[in-house]
Order: sequence, then C-alpha cells, then structure tokens
Amino acid sequence: MARVPFMMPKPADLLQLRADALGRLAELGGSVHVFKGMISVTLPKEQVISALRAVRDMGYEMLTDVHGMDYLTYPGHKGKRFSVVYDVHDLSGAERLFLRVDLDDGESVTTCTGIWPGASFLERECFDMIGVVFDGHPDLRKILTPEDLDGHPHRKDYPLGETPTLFNDGRFLDPPSFRAGLTGRDPGLTGWKGGTREGVSATQVPGPRSRLTSNLDAGEAGEN
Amino acid sequence: MGLRDLFERDVQELEAEGFLFESLQNLVKWGRSNSMWPVTFGLACCAIEMMAATNSRNDMARFGSEVFRASPRQADVMIVAGRLSKKMAPVMRRVYEQMPDPKWVISMGACASSGGMFNNYAIVQNVDSVVPVDIYVPGCPPRPESLIYAVQQLQKKVRGEAFDERGERLPMVEGWSR
Amino acid sequence: MATKVPAPAQDQGQNLGAFETKRMRINVGPQHPSTHGVLRLVVDLEGERIRALRPHVGYLHTGFEKTMENRTYHQCVTYSNRMDYVNGFAHDLAYMVAVEHLMGARVPIRAQRIRVILNELNRIASHLVFFGTTLLDMGALTPFFYTMREREKLMDIFENVCGVRMNYGYFRVGGLRQDVPEEFVPLVRDFLKTFPAYLGQYDTLFMGNDILEARTRGVGVLTRQQAIDLCLTGPSLRASGVPLDFRKTAPYSGYDEYDFDVPCYDDGDIWARLQVRMDEMHESLRIVQQAVDRLEPGPTIDPDRRISLPPRWELEDSMEAVIFHFKLVTEGFHPPKGEVYVPTESARGELGYYIASDGGSMPYRVKVRAPSLANLQSLEVSSIGGLFADMVINIASFDPVLGDVDK
Repeated sequence: MARVPFMMPKPADLLQLRADALGRLAELGGSVHVFKGMISVTLPKEQVISALRAVRDMGYEMLTDVHGMDYLTYPGHKGKRFSVVYDVHDLSGAERLFLRVDLDDGESVTTCTGIWPGASFLERECFDMIGVVFDGHPDLRKILTPEDLDGHPHRKDYPLGETPTLFNDGRFLDPPSFRAGLTGRDPGLTGWKGGTREGVSATQVPGPRSRLTSNLDAGEAGEN
Repeated sequence: MGLRDLFERDVQELEAEGFLFESLQNLVKWGRSNSMWPVTFGLACCAIEMMAATNSRNDMARFGSEVFRASPRQADVMIVAGRLSKKMAPVMRRVYEQMPDPKWVISMGACASSGGMFNNYAIVQNVDSVVPVDIYVPGCPPRPESLIYAVQQLQKKVRGEAFDERGERLPMVEGWSR
Repeated sequence: MATKVPAPAQDQGQNLGAFETKRMRINVGPQHPSTHGVLRLVVDLEGERIRALRPHVGYLHTGFEKTMENRTYHQCVTYSNRMDYVNGFAHDLAYMVAVEHLMGARVPIRAQRIRVILNELNRIASHLVFFGTTLLDMGALTPFFYTMREREKLMDIFENVCGVRMNYGYFRVGGLRQDVPEEFVPLVRDFLKTFPAYLGQYDTLFMGNDILEARTRGVGVLTRQQAIDLCLTGPSLRASGVPLDFRKTAPYSGYDEYDFDVPCYDDGDIWARLQVRMDEMHESLRIVQQAVDRLEPGPTIDPDRRISLPPRWELEDSMEAVIFHFKLVTEGFHPPKGEVYVPTESARGELGYYIASDGGSMPYRVKVRAPSLANLQSLEVSSIGGLFADMVINIASFDPVLGDVDK
C-alpha cells in the first residue's frame, strides 16, 4: 500500500486555471458575478453541459453539488423563478467555480450524469426538493421524501407543515405566531412588527419605538 | 385443578383465568423485568446515546438488557431512539407488530416523544400515534443515565409497582390484554 | 435468469452435477443491525455475489433546510449539529464560517483556536465511533467497548465546555458563546497525554489483526478515477489516491497555522479507508497539541454589537447595549443580500453550507452539502461483484451517517 504525498497547489497554476476557465465560459455565453470571493457564471440552459465538460477537461475535475434555488419570494428578484447551481472545484480544492442556470417552472435541464456519474443522487435530490427535471437522468425519482408526499418541499409555496401546539390550559397556538414580527410580514399575536427584509443592513440605529421597548410616549421619553 | 393443570396448561391460560399463584406471579415479574431485550431501533442522535448507554461506563446490560436483538421476534422492548420521519413510520409499525407479546415501547428523546424541535412536514409529532408508548424520556439527547432510569421505570411498570398520576397503582403489565 | 454453475473440480467423478442458481432480489433494512442508521438497500444477489445494489434513503428526512428558513441565523445553530450527530462540531463550524463569511465577521484568535481544538477532538470521537461500529459489523465486539470508553473521555471534555455531551450549541456567529472553563485546558492536556497510548493499542489490535486484514485487503476497491467521478470526498477519497483536504487548501478558522500531514493511500480498498482514519486520528492529536500550546487569553467573540450579544455587565451601563441585545435576541442580525458557500472538511468529507440571504433576519435558503449523500453512491460501484458479507463492511467503511444523508 503506497502512500500518496500531499502537495500544496501553486497559486500561479490556479490563477491560470481560473482565467482559462472564465475565458472559455465567456465564449459559451456565460456572465460572471463575483460575491465575497465566490465566482458564479450564469449560463444559458443549452450551454450548460458543454460548459461543464469544458471546465472538467480544463481542471475542475470534481463536482461538489447540484442544487436548486427557488426565488419566488426573493425581494427584488427579476428573472426566472428557479436556478440550478453546479459547484465544481479542482483536485486540490483551492479553486472553485459556480455555474448557474436560470429556469422557469416546468423547464428542464440536461443531466450531467454523463460527465460525473456521481451527480445522480445530487440531481435526484434537486428534483425531489425543488422540482427541476433533469433530462436524460437514468433514474429520476424522489430520494428523500416519502413516496406518498406530493409536491416539492423546498419550494417557497410549499408549507412547512407545522402542527399547532396544544397547551395545557387549552390554548391552541400555531407556531408561526411565536415567530411573529421577525419577518415583518405578519405581526401575529404580539402585534410587534420587526425589521423588514428590504435592505436593512445594520441595526445601529434602533427601530421605531413601540410599546414593547417603552411605555412612555414620545414627549415623556424626551424625544421632542 | 392443582399441579396437574400447571403442567398441562400454559401460564397464559391460567393467568387469564385468575389461577396464577402469588409465587408464580413473582417469578414471572422477576423474569420479565430483569431480562428486557431491546430491539435495535436507533434512528438518529439518540441512537448514539443509546449506544453510549451500553458502553462500559453506563452499562445497561447490568439491568438486563444484555443484548440488543436485531430481530424483533426475539425482543421485548423497542427503544425508539431518534426522530421518526413519516417515511419510516410504516416500517416502525411493522417492526412493532413483529415483536411477540408482551412488548413495551420506550420513546427516547424529545423528537420521538413530541416531534422535538422539528415541527414540520417530515417528522411524526408523537410516536404514540404509531405505537403505544409506555415510557417517555425527555432530553435532546437524553443522557445515558436518563435512559437507564427509563428502563428501570419500565421495569417497575412491568412488575406492577408503577403508579399513575392520580396515585393509583397500575396493574402488572399483561402483554396480551393491551 | 437461471445460470448453470458447473460442478467444482473436486466433485467430478462423484456425479454431483451442476445446480441452477437464480438471481434473487433481497431487501436489507431500513431496520438492520449492520447499517449505520436507517439505510435501505435492495440487493440483487446471485448466490453470494452482488450483481446490483440500489440504496434507498430518506427514512430520516427531517426537513432541516426548510426548517432553517424559518429560524433566525442564531437559532439555526441548534439544527446544524443534529444533521451529522456524530460529528456535530463540524456542521456547526461549517455553518458558522459560512455566516461569518457572509456577514464579514472577524473571529478572534482565541475563539478560532478553541474551535479548532473542539473540531479536531470531535473528529477523533467520530473516527472512534467509526472504528467501533465498523468492527462491530465485522463481528468483533471488544473494539466497540474500547473506543466508546475513549469517546466517553472526549464527551466529558465537551460536557465541561458546552454543557451537553452531544448536539452542542456552543459556537456563535463571531466566536463562541462564552469562554471555556478553567478545567478545559488541563482536561485536554490530560487527554493528549493518555490517548496516544490507547491509539497505539488500537493500531495493534485493529490494524494488526490478521482476520481484519484478510477481510479488508483488496475488498471493495474503488479506483482513483471512479472515486473522482462519483463525487466522493473525505477519508474515503484519500484512501483512493486523491490527497484532497480542505483544511490545507481552503483553510478556515485558522487551520493554515498548524502543521499536519494529510494521510493518503492509493489502494482504494477497505483496508486503506481504515488506515486513513487511523492516521487521521494521529494528525488530529497533533493539531490539538499545537492549538492548545498556542492558546492565549483574549476575547472569544467578535465585539461588533451588530452580530454578537453584549456581555451582561454592559447591559447595566449602556442603553445602546440593551437595544442591541433586544434586537439581536428578538429579531437577529441582517446579513447583506447574497449567496455564500464555504467548504470545510468534516470527518466524512466535504461539508459546506450554501446560504442565500435576502437581507432579512432568517436565511432565505440553506442548502447543506452533506458528504454522506454523495459518498453513498460509491457503495454501488465498489460492492458489485463482491460478496454479500463484504458489502456489510463496505457500507461501514464509507462511514455514512444517515442524518447527514437525509437531512
């Protein structure tokens, strides 16, 4: 049994790999977006398989994940509802690339099990949870949810399915009311509306005063 | 009646007819409670703590659970250790039904007892809706000592030394009359 | 389909004749002593040889990701370690580094070192469970009790720090919930002094055992190219010849300052997978030793009040602290809009949390790249053509944890 030594990759090689890959993906119609060091390339649906094959041949040999995103309730999202993200990296693990495909409800994308047979379970999970169909997949069926569960649980219009809690004194409370105010969408039983989801980035300035923080009115609190 | 009946008819019939002698009942109590063999039904994190309850520090075998039988046909008690998903529920019912009487169920952990922290589409909110539960063990996960205490409480229940919340004595558990 | 098996050579002349075998489909699990959780396999057998194998998972599906969409970022920590319950700190750490990357939080050095210590000790605990259960599947009962005995010592350390033996809730965004107690460093040093002797014993007892060697050498072979194609990661990949370790090439939480080796063998059989994990325990001890030696007093959480709770004494003096406390507890912090993914190395493979934030106090979508689901695909390829009895230890050698698979 021979031991395989570990060698750190050379940064110059990695940068070269990245530049080559981005160049090739740009040729295939990809648009690059960088966020906090992560490089995502959005590709048209038809080019995804050739793009994956191309980056694999260049050096991004390992596929990490194929997952779906549902942007139905994402604030400010313009574009198609779903997105499938392919996460590939090279054999050292230092260079990572995210390839994205935007899809509408009902659109399908070709499977990449021809390139990586290990994408089989990953695509099945994406299908089960989000509902994206992968054409040409050898065995596309549900993997995690029971057979009698209809629908795709990680879609935003699929309910969480919480059971109301029956307290000893007879009150029947549904769990969303406990989390009232956190999303700002509905105040629930407490009446407290928390921060909204649109662009509130810091809580340095306290929000508008409400009953819960103080029972003084504005004059008494010394605000005016 | 008499000794002849004891040899020719079996204990269950005699018991149902009320013929069980006090000493025989004590023998049955002692035997049943001190040799409860669980069936391996570890589902999630509680299964690791169940395994820890059998290791050398917290030795559950000294209380009678010498072996965890893989086959439900050879087991007395099912310790439901972990979150029961709705896909697994029919499987659990089938395993429970394969266990011979008398049998008991310990619902170990918060997830088995009430759904725990998972109140969603995938988890059964109380294992009691699938199998009748005798002892609930709180905790996430319960310490091995908690599980051993639960086994001891079940032993008391089997022996007829348990009391319900009104303070009335619960009868000795008869497997076939439940 | 019936095949005729010819009479073996030593029976010729005795007219025993050939007998027909048929392909038989049997169901293994989901309740079975030899699976690591509720894994169901449908196996096509011809005699004792496996011709086809299909894993059916989902019997522990809990809907973690959907539940985490309805909890604030701090509340999600309680969920992350229940996925892979044997290696809970790895999930906590993976979630934390992802959220900290998204928030731009800076974790103090002391917190990073303590996180590394706890993560590596948890890796050792996970590998101990691996050895205990794998050898239990092979029929050896004693190693289970030995490894569990060591694991109890580790659980004592974790209980001293976090209050619980399993399913910890100790990491917070920006650092730790509170500083470690005084007994922590002496306990860890004591463990570092006593454990190597036990590790040497295990090396001799497990890896020096002839029966184990005969059962695992050349069995369940997965070649290098097969492993890469099947999206395998972690110690099983390192046993097939690819020295991939994210702690070295994509370091997080200060892993780049420690000196450790990455064990990697090119056999691809079960023996190599066992040997890799045995060596990894040695390497984890090295890392813990270095981290403990470098531990210095200091803050244990990012002082940025938008992310972390103020200390209790500050609440008496400062109104702003009270407001921050209130906002953080009731609502939580708001990361910027965007999606992040940070790969980490758990005891099973590449673990990462892909977090999509929409600017609100709850994650928009959390996708857990759990290593065991992808690793399970290698089971089929490496078991086909082998014996049924070998399949049982083959499953164990890939170390799947069904909580990780089913999420």
